Amino acid sequence: MHVPRRYKAALLAVFLVAACGQTPQTSQSPAEGAQQAAPVKGGSLTFAADTEPVSFDAHVSSQDITGAIVRNVLDSLITLDATGKFHPWLAESWEAAPDLKSYTFKLRKDVVFHDGTPFDAEAVKVNFDRIHDPATKSQLASSLLGPYTGTKVVDPHRVTVEFAQPFAPFLQAASTAYLGFYSPKTIAADSAAIGSGGPAAVGTGPFKFAEYTKGQQAVFARNDAYNWAPKTAVHTGAAYLDKLTVRFLPEASVRVGSLTSKQIDVAAAVPPANVKTVEGNADLTVLAADYPGGNYSIYLNTSKEPLNDERVRKAIQRGIDIDTNINALYFGQFKRAWSPLAPTTPGYNAALENSWKFDQAESNRLLDEAGWTTKDAEGYRTKNGKRLVVDWPLLPAQYVRDSRDVLGQAFQADLKKIGVEIVRPQADIGTYLERVYGGKADMADYSWSRAEPDVLWLLLNGASKPQEGGQNATFLDDPDLTKWTNEGRATLDEAVRKDVYGKVQQRAIDLAVTIPIYTQSQVLGLGKSVKGLTLDANAWPLFYDVWLGKAQ
Amino acid sequence: MSLLRRVGAGVMVLWGAATLAFISLLLIPGDPVSTLLGPATMASPEVRAQIAADYGFDRPVAVRYLDYLGTVVTGDLGSSYQLQRPVGLLIADQLGPTVQLALAAMVTAVVIAVISAVTTAGRARPVRAAAGAWELVAVSLPSYWLGILLLTAFSFQLRIFPVIGAQDLAALVLPALTLALPIAGVLAQVLREGLEAALAQPFAVTARARGLSQFAVRLRHALRHAAASLATLTGWLVGSLLGGAVLVETVFGRSGIGALTLQAVGNKDMPVVMGVVLLSALVFVVISNVVDLLHTAIDPRVRA
Repeated sequence: MHVPRRYKAALLAVFLVAACGQTPQTSQSPAEGAQQAAPVKGGSLTFAADTEPVSFDAHVSSQDITGAIVRNVLDSLITLDATGKFHPWLAESWEAAPDLKSYTFKLRKDVVFHDGTPFDAEAVKVNFDRIHDPATKSQLASSLLGPYTGTKVVDPHRVTVEFAQPFAPFLQAASTAYLGFYSPKTIAADSAAIGSGGPAAVGTGPFKFAEYTKGQQAVFARNDAYNWAPKTAVHTGAAYLDKLTVRFLPEASVRVGSLTSKQIDVAAAVPPANVKTVEGNADLTVLAADYPGGNYSIYLNTSKEPLNDERVRKAIQRGIDIDTNINALYFGQFKRAWSPLAPTTPGYNAALENSWKFDQAESNRLLDEAGWTTKDAEGYRTKNGKRLVVDWPLLPAQYVRDSRDVLGQAFQADLKKIGVEIVRPQADIGTYLERVYGGKADMADYSWSRAEPDVLWLLLNGASKPQEGGQNATFLDDPDLTKWTNEGRATLDEAVRKDVYGKVQQRAIDLAVTIPIYTQSQVLGLGKSVKGLTLDANAWPLFYDVWLGKAQ
Repeated sequence: MSLLRRVGAGVMVLWGAATLAFISLLLIPGDPVSTLLGPATMASPEVRAQIAADYGFDRPVAVRYLDYLGTVVTGDLGSSYQLQRPVGLLIADQLGPTVQLALAAMVTAVVIAVISAVTTAGRARPVRAAAGAWELVAVSLPSYWLGILLLTAFSFQLRIFPVIGAQDLAALVLPALTLALPIAGVLAQVLREGLEAALAQPFAVTARARGLSQFAVRLRHALRHAAASLATLTGWLVGSLLGGAVLVETVFGRSGIGALTLQAVGNKDMPVVMGVVLLSALVFVVISNVVDLLHTAIDPRVRA
């Protein structure tokens, strides 16, 4: 199914940023000299996603895909642009208390939910309270609310959100779809139905959730009443598209094939190996952006032998050839990482780049110094008759993405050369989590995308215990890392934040508690008739400004 | 066998299936709450406690088992952990597309098998060898690979059949063919052997001697004999259709029981897995009873 190209006027897909790894653009001025065609209303677009949400309830789910899809249905208080600045959306203005323990938002008065319910202070309170309620079983949104204590309705269009401690990351959290607003009427009627998708998910967004066919697609229809677009959008008023269909095609070759045969308009997660094919097609183009937040990194468990020795950790950090392996496996589409933080995240420390290169001579020296001097028959280093073995569990197959298991094999081979044995047991997810988050494994690998440097608190603060919903698999409570990540979340002063987060990144590398590997990238393939598609600060596609024109 | 005994045996099979499914899900190691939440979660200890309490993970196994059997008897399959919807409703929603796919695949498989077997049984060696070769290839093809191959050829290149719009008939052709080909391979093999055995029987010679054409003998007499051996394969056939549907539905992005099962197993969504197991057991019980009855219809010797 493809939309007939009825409209003639269109020139150069100026909104498309074809270069890979480009900073997400929220709005771009037309290219110089290019004749800008006027956007046209109407048409239907099909977007093929690689995963299907388990739950469509943004307050419950922790999945990226849930946030990306319901973004069309849910609006937020504020919006975040590519440079890390916040702009009004459902809130006209806002003010943080000096102690950052409360934030007061002045709300727009003209906003209505799809069911006709007006959006007001009470709606904000109902939604935030719902997220915080343990009965909602929130897997992400409630942690985005942090030390939330409650929402005070000051007047019908003014709310104060309150926290037990100073909480700077709240503004970024408030800009995500996870803290978006469902109609209080829906929440009161049957809040469990929201997760099943379809018309039950009533928001204020530019699209209404029309229908959901499990295993196949979700369909969204334009909300004609929409007149409260965020300041970062290109146009105002209702969206251009009549209909947006999200088709679930988990198989990468099927997504790419459907795109090249024009059966769909936009494909998510184009594999690195297929990017050249898409770029080489005259009718198609590639739109890419790096995900912000925690890079895909290895975290080293400092609580037990042998990685409680900083020298051994450093030897491993310097002993794997990240550049060569990333380029070979991802065809140069993913960037090698130098910091635990992705370059597109505010507070990224660029000074770390090229500061800890692949150096096996250094690794060997460190291991000798640490006392792992003897070698056994298979060439692995030993100390007191014990082999240097590092246990790095592999996720069950259905959770492995980007061929990370293959990448792990390459690192395994690299480390064998310096006499370190890496074992990668693969079991079910229950066993995996018990080993990794129970502190029984030596290394773990994961990424954590979020457009906010507070992600470093999650990854490296001593209080972010994996047993309690934290993600600090280094099991280290380093006084500096903990202090700085606490300071960062207690201030909105950009200079202070830049300073403390810069130091956190440097210290994490110096302590060798983490080995950043690569920055994940959102790689979309799209037909050239798709105009105005941009990626937001989270590297998710925004369909509000999209219109269908002539392919050129 | 009396009807009562048949029903009794069926109930026992269902009970056995439910119990086995319950035990195997219990045997999955690790904390059930962590398993349910998956790797990328930030659920707080309060949320974890809430989940454990809601789903009764904190109660003794025996109590949970009896409780489960109790609800199943009343026709309630419980509610999905992940999707927060009644399992019965979920399955009912997904059953249509799968039944559609399975029926289309079965008809296709039988048609292909009959054509292949009837035209090649007892023919010259090269013809039979060629037939045997395609059957062998069809049987050995992984349906995952076959699906992508068919998609690439007929959807992406020739653009005859769409991937999108999985509701209409055109979109059913490729998935059904993917599911049907390996099954057709097996059916054709079995059918041809049966046909050849039947054609070697004296009655075939008699029929020919009475002036029936070679083709008429095959269709009217030999095929009926051979069909009896085919009927016993029905159980295997249903299994293949259900199992194959999991992969085919994933490749083609179709909704259905297969896709639902895959997601439920991946997410350790126990009520859904149990519901699907019970459904499959029920289908097997019904089918095998129907086959028994069919057998008596096809083969008069059984009736005695």
